[in-house]
Amino acid sequence: MATRRPVRRGSAKGADVSVRLGTGRNDERWLVKAAQSDPAKFDALYELHFERVYAFVASRVRDRATAEDVTSEVFHKALANLQGYEWRGVPFVAWLLRIAANAIVDHAKRAAREFPAPDDPPEPAADLDLQASELRAIEHRAQLFRLVGRLPEVQKQVVYERFVEQRSIREIAERLGKTEGAVKQLQLRAVQNLRAQMESGRG
Amino acid sequence: MAKRSLALQLDEVVQAMLVSLRPRPEKAPDHELASLARVAEVLRDLPREEFRAALKSDLQRRASMSEGTAARTGEAKAKTVHYQRPGLTAITPYIIVRGAAQFIEFLKSSFEGVERMSVPTPDGKIMHAEVAIGNAAIEVSDGSEAYPNAPAAIHLYVDDPDATYARTLQAGAISFYAPTDDHPSGDRWGAVKDAFGNHWYIAKPKGWTPGPEGLRSVQPYLHLREAHKMIPFMEAAFEAEAMGVHKSPEGIVHHATIRIGDATLEIDEAHGEFQPMPCHLHVYVPDTDAVYARAMEAGATSIEAPRNAPYGDRAAGVKDPWGNSWFIATYLGQ
Repeated sequence: MATRRPVRRGSAKGADVSVRLGTGRNDERWLVKAAQSDPAKFDALYELHFERVYAFVASRVRDRATAEDVTSEVFHKALANLQGYEWRGVPFVAWLLRIAANAIVDHAKRAAREFPAPDDPPEPAADLDLQASELRAIEHRAQLFRLVGRLPEVQKQVVYERFVEQRSIREIAERLGKTEGAVKQLQLRAVQNLRAQMESGRG
Repeated sequence: MAKRSLALQLDEVVQAMLVSLRPRPEKAPDHELASLARVAEVLRDLPREEFRAALKSDLQRRASMSEGTAARTGEAKAKTVHYQRPGLTAITPYIIVRGAAQFIEFLKSSFEGVERMSVPTPDGKIMHAEVAIGNAAIEVSDGSEAYPNAPAAIHLYVDDPDATYARTLQAGAISFYAPTDDHPSGDRWGAVKDAFGNHWYIAKPKGWTPGPEGLRSVQPYLHLREAHKMIPFMEAAFEAEAMGVHKSPEGIVHHATIRIGDATLEIDEAHGEFQPMPCHLHVYVPDTDAVYARAMEAGATSIEAPRNAPYGDRAAGVKDPWGNSWFIATYLGQ
């Protein structure tokens, strides 16, 4: 399957991004080995891949609660079955996403038992074969999630309040002690900042 | 196009996205707005920071469980109960102290505590930590305005009470009395107070052998006024079982052991230096909602109604008539 990402060319920025996202493949191989012999080291793999797994899951399930349930299940399963992962040129993230795809199907089946919806059968995950374009989309979304953490504090706050808590502009203005116009400006700044960083990161 | 109007336009797109749950925003009229809308669309799926942190600590706990617990827990290892969080027994004292990091060092040096997980706050304090002692654990958090310090009295069963007692003194505890064979319990038993205000009753069984379920390393010890009323309260709220009750002819409880699930705590009537220390207890039960309802009926007041906590427990909180906080939980696990 087409999971191998092209090695980033050129700029120092590109190299930095690739290490941060765990695409420095040799480093990652070492991290997996470390975690296999000492489960406490699974932390590092979690840090590298949380955003990717979450991005993948969130794009395929209906709501936040399900996305969290499934993501949690994926990492617990990965930790429990870490010994079963063998390095054969398949990136660790592909292994995680396969677990995720199966967990999503399981979840849909469980939900279907409770709320049957015969016209909406879950598709089998056995033949999960992610297109390169979908993998790029996951990378893109994961990177954006990470960049939110590096926004100036008040912009970050607006993003979380607006998109995660889904509060109205008025509520956010009250909570932050700002005018509604100022909150809308902050929202714009934050989104513009993220767009700019995504574009430069693509370098 | 003026900045302000772009801010308004973007917010209209965001608003439509959040309210309608449309998979995609409507085609934006110009390129500038369209590219911003694409970023906003991704932000709709932004993971919660709390979830990311909670899952991480959950995995840390799970990972440390799979490492070396078999050796530590020995024959007293509780059989896995589905409603309990792995690594915790039915009753775990939750100690809130100023200087949690130093307190954890005290637990390590005095009681061979093993720090199983620790979740820091952004300003470097400890939000939540779990320290294994023998076959049980103690949970620890730094005090804050919302959660003022709450030390506890804890009875520990250890292999060598004299050596343990000596280590606590080295680590800054002060002695109530050195281990003695003359304690009314019949066990070899000493008592200290640590620099954080907690009492430690350090003991080893003498003249009796623990049952097949083994010896619980950690037992909270509650000194109470009108201690006899705690037994019906715990029976009603937690379906607890009083296992050994020693009362004076006037009905004053000299000592009682009360069991919830696979763990026990002890109570007595407050006396002398051993006055009430309202503390926090983390209790795992099969049905949080039912226990919460029964506790309220038995005279507790609510701290927090049952909810699904982000770390995967059904959780609730009540305060008993003596001022102790009970954090009731059911592990939803997998």
